[in-house]
Amino acid sequence: MKRLIYLALTALSLCLCSLAQAVTVEDSKGTFSIDYTPKRIVVLEFSFVDALAAVGVSPVGIADDKDSNRILKEIRDEIGDWTSVGTRSQPSLETISSLKPDLIIADISRHEGVYADLQKIAPTLILPSRRATYEENLQATAIIGKAIGKEKEMQARLKKHDEVMAELAAQLPKGKEVQFGVARDDALFLHTANSYAGGVIRALGLKNANTGRNDDAYRQTSLEQLLTVNPDYFIVGHYVTPSIVEKWKSEPLWSILKAAKNNHIYAVNANTWSRCRGIISAETMGQDLIKVFNAKK
Amino acid sequence: MATRSLPFLVLAMIGLLIANLMFGAVSIPFKQILDGLQTGNEHHFTIHEYRLPRTILAMLVGAMMALAGALVQGVIRNPLASPDVLGVSHGAGLAAVFYMTFFPNADISWLPAVALVGSLVAALMLWWLCGSHSSTIKLAITGVALAALYASCIDFLMLIKPLEINNALLWLTGSLWGRGWNQLSMLLPWLLLIPFALWLAKPLNLIHLGDDSAISLGIKANKLRLASLGLAVGLTASCVAICGPIGFLGLVAPHLTRKLVGGRHQILLPATMLVGAILLLLADLVARTIDPPIELPAGIMTAIIGAPYFLWLLLRTK
Repeated sequence: MKRLIYLALTALSLCLCSLAQAVTVEDSKGTFSIDYTPKRIVVLEFSFVDALAAVGVSPVGIADDKDSNRILKEIRDEIGDWTSVGTRSQPSLETISSLKPDLIIADISRHEGVYADLQKIAPTLILPSRRATYEENLQATAIIGKAIGKEKEMQARLKKHDEVMAELAAQLPKGKEVQFGVARDDALFLHTANSYAGGVIRALGLKNANTGRNDDAYRQTSLEQLLTVNPDYFIVGHYVTPSIVEKWKSEPLWSILKAAKNNHIYAVNANTWSRCRGIISAETMGQDLIKVFNAKK
Repeated sequence: MATRSLPFLVLAMIGLLIANLMFGAVSIPFKQILDGLQTGNEHHFTIHEYRLPRTILAMLVGAMMALAGALVQGVIRNPLASPDVLGVSHGAGLAAVFYMTFFPNADISWLPAVALVGSLVAALMLWWLCGSHSSTIKLAITGVALAALYASCIDFLMLIKPLEINNALLWLTGSLWGRGWNQLSMLLPWLLLIPFALWLAKPLNLIHLGDDSAISLGIKANKLRLASLGLAVGLTASCVAICGPIGFLGLVAPHLTRKLVGGRHQILLPATMLVGAILLLLADLVARTIDPPIELPAGIMTAIIGAPYFLWLLLRTK
């Protein structure tokens, strides 16, 4: 009998312990609760990998489009090996299931359709990533920190991020107009003020170019439209070489672009600037911009 | 010859059903498949929640789309006809893309309903333009023209809202990814159309003799056409609503079947369902296993098989 009471007490205290640990956060589908510290995390977008790496947590599986180079090298070095769970657009649910995760972090824009299935595999935290702004991304990062039981570390890291960004901003000229775009083989997409890159540019004390309509994060732009935007500084990420921007260079219109006249066109890693969308990549972007502005001096 | 190939088709389908349950990003031995049906088993999610509904869905969608193709080819009497010429799948595509681009934050679970409405509206549009008494050739040409119109609207939407292109393209290629018991249960009521379609087999044979002969044999040609096309619309619309327009299935499956079992609709219709199921099961199996864990949309696979076949058909009928 004594033993039984002892057992019951232990069980009770264990329950209480885990109850005390339970964290509740608001995700894109409402309230998300988790009463343990997840050890096997599968993430389905790059920005979530960035958030985990920022506090030194390694995911077991990443939807990395089966191309590990799409994860920034700094992040790869931090998190070590992982299993690919397929593409971000159609991750393989059976591979995710075979990894036996205890937390899945999914993107509301891409994975809402399989949210119910993901929940059957493991508790699923669903947050904005694609189409999210810089501010939304910081919020999502903080939520992830809380959900994985690293709230303190994450808050500290976010604070440090603010400091790093302020430091970088101090080294950059104030209020210069910078426009980022990704160039594919057949199209140029400008990342507007509403995009992640646009937000980072503002956070660094620079200015977004006026891209006209501002309802979209990314805007496909022809050479003539680019001329209307006519940014002072033009930062291009080439997804392929030669991209459409390289083809435009021989066109007469190109030569009257302000940025072309003043040699203010710079190439950066398209992956860092467009796909990764996280605090580590934002800091890398800041360093890229410092190189850009120091190069011309 | 005709009836002899039926058992083979059934066997092939059963083989593919089992293969679809066994293979994927993770291979599961045959013996463990049944265990996977029980809750608590380590393969429970993979087998019961993922592969089983998807496999059944592939079988049903393949069968229904192929049957719709056979019905359309049966009444339009043109080897190049398929449910696509009715503009139904493009109508569904337009509705879906419209929904995705203008309501990017709306609940995605409404997508099948939106697509279904789109395809039914497209069918009504065709009916309104052609009426029930026009010739099949007018019907086919109007349908193709409407389909082209919808396709250009889709392109226009995707050009002005390039952000949603990924999701839209994914849906437009047709895929079984992420489809489970929910989607399967949405499809079930539409299975009721199948017996009606099979019941049309005999009159469909007669209409092949030409309208005049068919009418003199007591067939109401116009009513039959309307019924067949209506059934084809229902079958296609329900499938497209759930999986997206899986291309070429409705065109290729009936042709392949005609090569195997001949043109008698009593055998052709059930056999074409088997062939359609086999094709889509195969396409989805390949799409899932060709480069795991990457999942390709099954629609790409059917297009890879279907497009060259379509070209060959065009060249041969010249």
